[in-house]
Amino acid sequence: MTLPDLTAADLQPVLPALVLAAGASVLLLSEVFLTTASRSHLALIALGSSVLAGGVALATAFEPAHAVFQGLAVQDPFSSFVTVVVCLGLAGVVLLSADFLKQRQAERGEYYALMLFAAAGMSLLAMSAELITLFINLEVLSVSTYALTAFLRRGPRPAEAAFKYFILGAFSAALFLYGSALLYGVTGTTRLADMVGPLRTAMHTQPWLATCALALVAAGFAFKVAAVPFHMWAPDVYEGAPTPVTALMSAGVKAAAFAGLVRVFLFLGRADPEVVALALSALAVLTMVGGNLLALPQRNVKRMLAYSSIAHAGYLLLGVAALFPHPGTGVLAATPLMLGSPAVNSADAYKGILFYLLAYTVSSVGAFGVLSVLERHADGDGATAWDLDRFSGLAQRRPGWAVAMAAFMLSLAGIPPTVGFMGKLLVFRAAVDSGLLGLAIIGVLASAAGAYYYLRIVVYMFMRPAPAEGVLPEKYWATELALVASAVAVVALGVLPGRVADWLSQSGMFFGTR
Amino acid sequence: MSAEALLFYVFALCTVVSAGAVVLARGPMTSAMSLVATFFFLAGVYALLWAHTIAVLQVLVYAGAIMVLFLFVIMLLSMTEPEPAMKLNVARVVGALSAVGLGAALIASFWKLPTQPMGWAEDSARAAAFGTLKTVGEIIYTRYLLPFESVSLLLLAAIVGAVVVAKPRI
Repeated sequence: MTLPDLTAADLQPVLPALVLAAGASVLLLSEVFLTTASRSHLALIALGSSVLAGGVALATAFEPAHAVFQGLAVQDPFSSFVTVVVCLGLAGVVLLSADFLKQRQAERGEYYALMLFAAAGMSLLAMSAELITLFINLEVLSVSTYALTAFLRRGPRPAEAAFKYFILGAFSAALFLYGSALLYGVTGTTRLADMVGPLRTAMHTQPWLATCALALVAAGFAFKVAAVPFHMWAPDVYEGAPTPVTALMSAGVKAAAFAGLVRVFLFLGRADPEVVALALSALAVLTMVGGNLLALPQRNVKRMLAYSSIAHAGYLLLGVAALFPHPGTGVLAATPLMLGSPAVNSADAYKGILFYLLAYTVSSVGAFGVLSVLERHADGDGATAWDLDRFSGLAQRRPGWAVAMAAFMLSLAGIPPTVGFMGKLLVFRAAVDSGLLGLAIIGVLASAAGAYYYLRIVVYMFMRPAPAEGVLPEKYWATELALVASAVAVVALGVLPGRVADWLSQSGMFFGTR
Repeated sequence: MSAEALLFYVFALCTVVSAGAVVLARGPMTSAMSLVATFFFLAGVYALLWAHTIAVLQVLVYAGAIMVLFLFVIMLLSMTEPEPAMKLNVARVVGALSAVGLGAALIASFWKLPTQPMGWAEDSARAAAFGTLKTVGEIIYTRYLLPFESVSLLLLAAIVGAVVVAKPRI
């Protein structure tokens, strides 16, 4: 056996994850050695590491794609951009957390360290091109998020949420692992690039075993991205977790899990594109329709945003399904609505997915940010803390927040001129181009239904009188900064997506082995 | 039937029986001890698969360290009274049926396995090196360096997370 040569240059692709892990270590050590009364430096360290890691990832995004670590991981523009989006979301979440924790006397280095660990796992997950590496990095991010969910256990609800998340997450990890083991049994390798050929043969010789393996892996990912019918945990966990942690779950965890899903199924899907595309299309339809319908009756805004996050997973799945050619095999592609012969322009599809991830990250971080400032410390975990009535007359009491929240809601609903509209436009266009016109129409209809519950918040903020005895929520500079930054991003990227969209259109995925 | 095949069937049968006992036993202590037995028989199967290192680690880590933790938890919770028998309801029936269905699907999927043996017994060089501590160590630190380092990240995150969760109140 020949031993590979490792040099310092080989570490360069994992530099963002190294920066994040180093930041986490500094945070943990600062808890031991810096015992000052003020703990504002914790958030600053976390913010600095996430910005630095994001910058490093952006700087390497335009280098030629290549395999690293003997083909266990790849560095391609797709993975770099996912890391950038994750770091962007992390920076916003850290800003939200600073005041949220200070208000509750719960500033701890462990909290930020776990967030940085989770982000390091996300960055590595986006790069993984081998099942063992992929699984371990998926666990890094999951374990950190389980612990973060249990960070503020005041009342029974957070404890229940953390427990539920942990048990169901472990269950989904077991499904994923079982599927990976079967895939290894079928193909004799764990590297995705080497797996395609043997898997294609196995699809004929052992179709049941190969399909079972793919289905189990898909189920594991569907749990993580909260796709219907694997979404049951999402509303309870999103509601019970501390609000900034919920923002991290909806922004970072979702982006990273999608990156893993896209990579695994683009590799393995080449063995049998029809089955994989059909499964992804079915998941996309169920998730888009189910998420939006379940969100409609919610008065609890935090729960509503949880269901909305499920619905957004559906639009993203539509984008993933658009990466496969659909010669009349999709659920609805065979309808008379299908246009001409489908030609997949995968650059557009990648751009759609990444731009959508970016759009969802900035909008949801902002929306959860407004939610976290309206939620008072004294509320505990009472269900009224996130009731729709909290938003009544916000336009008179805090006009800036109301305008920002309106921008986030319009963006989540996909109404111009916001980044959410551009994201939906790119995803739906990619879907139509690859022959999924029927699915795209279902997506548009579902998001039209979704506009109802997003706009209801805008109506409450601007057209309902403020409650008489309402206490004016306080302002904090870090949260204000996060809200202003994400509101500006939501509008600016919606009006002028040019430069960013150009960057993202260069993002391809690397399928080679070296 | 060769001695190897005979040993395999003994180990495999005992693994399945003791694993069944883990689920079916009434008392938690009986379940835990059946789990220890399962780990031992599974270690035997690993040894038959030439994976000596994993067989030893299985006994050391699972049957040793992790089972001690299990027993501690059981004793601390002091569940001496066996739980009352489960009642049948719709959810349980549906759950049982889907579990049986999944099991049947998996068994069916294994039906058509490749028939050619790997013939490693003849390959003496491979047989000498495979599964030894030296080979496993070399592979971990070279070819699988990235996942190995990720595991250290995972363990650190898990330790910090465990401390956070164990704190009575933040």
